[in-house]
Amino acid sequence: MRAEQRPLLKNCFFSSLAYLATTWICVWLLRHGLADAPIVVRALVGMLPTVPIVFAIRAVVKLVLAGDELQRRIDLEAFAIASVALGLGCLTASLLIVADVIVISGRQALLWVFPIQWIAYGFAKIWATNRYQ
Amino acid sequence: MMSRVRELREAKGWSQGQLAEQLEVSRQTINAIETGKYDPSLPLAFRIARLFHKSIETIFDPGE
Repeated sequence: MRAEQRPLLKNCFFSSLAYLATTWICVWLLRHGLADAPIVVRALVGMLPTVPIVFAIRAVVKLVLAGDELQRRIDLEAFAIASVALGLGCLTASLLIVADVIVISGRQALLWVFPIQWIAYGFAKIWATNRYQ
Repeated sequence: MMSRVRELREAKGWSQGQLAEQLEVSRQTINAIETGKYDPSLPLAFRIARLFHKSIETIFDPGE
């Protein structure tokens, strides 16, 4: 990693941390304090985690664009693998739901899509990086 | 693809990091090129050739 990429990586980390914290706080507020609040308030509070996640996406895009050609290739491979893994995971889960093997609520499933994609991207990036070492 | 990048770099007494800095790429990229695990793009191959004052063909050998 080049020196100019390190602050960008730090931004990615803190934005992701802020996303997790905001999501946890929003879910707690919606279940406890704002359960009877007007729909507009609930919608605004519910969508708050999108703010840090937009910053996280911006930080990741900047990080990828600051990379050299090999780093961009690794990121491209990692994103492709993560997307396919997520799609396959969702398909498998939906087939198991249809077969009444597992039960997952829609709200839980949707909430986990983005974090799972990040995690898959992380593992895929480790794998792709090792290929070129 | 085989390359003479390591040989030329060592002849100049440069570390991978120093070469990476001059080419504005990461040390990882230099290592991958030297070990033959990554084929550089044409613009990067030209930058390497210019830096060592050689032609691309004398540095990179695509093999069979």
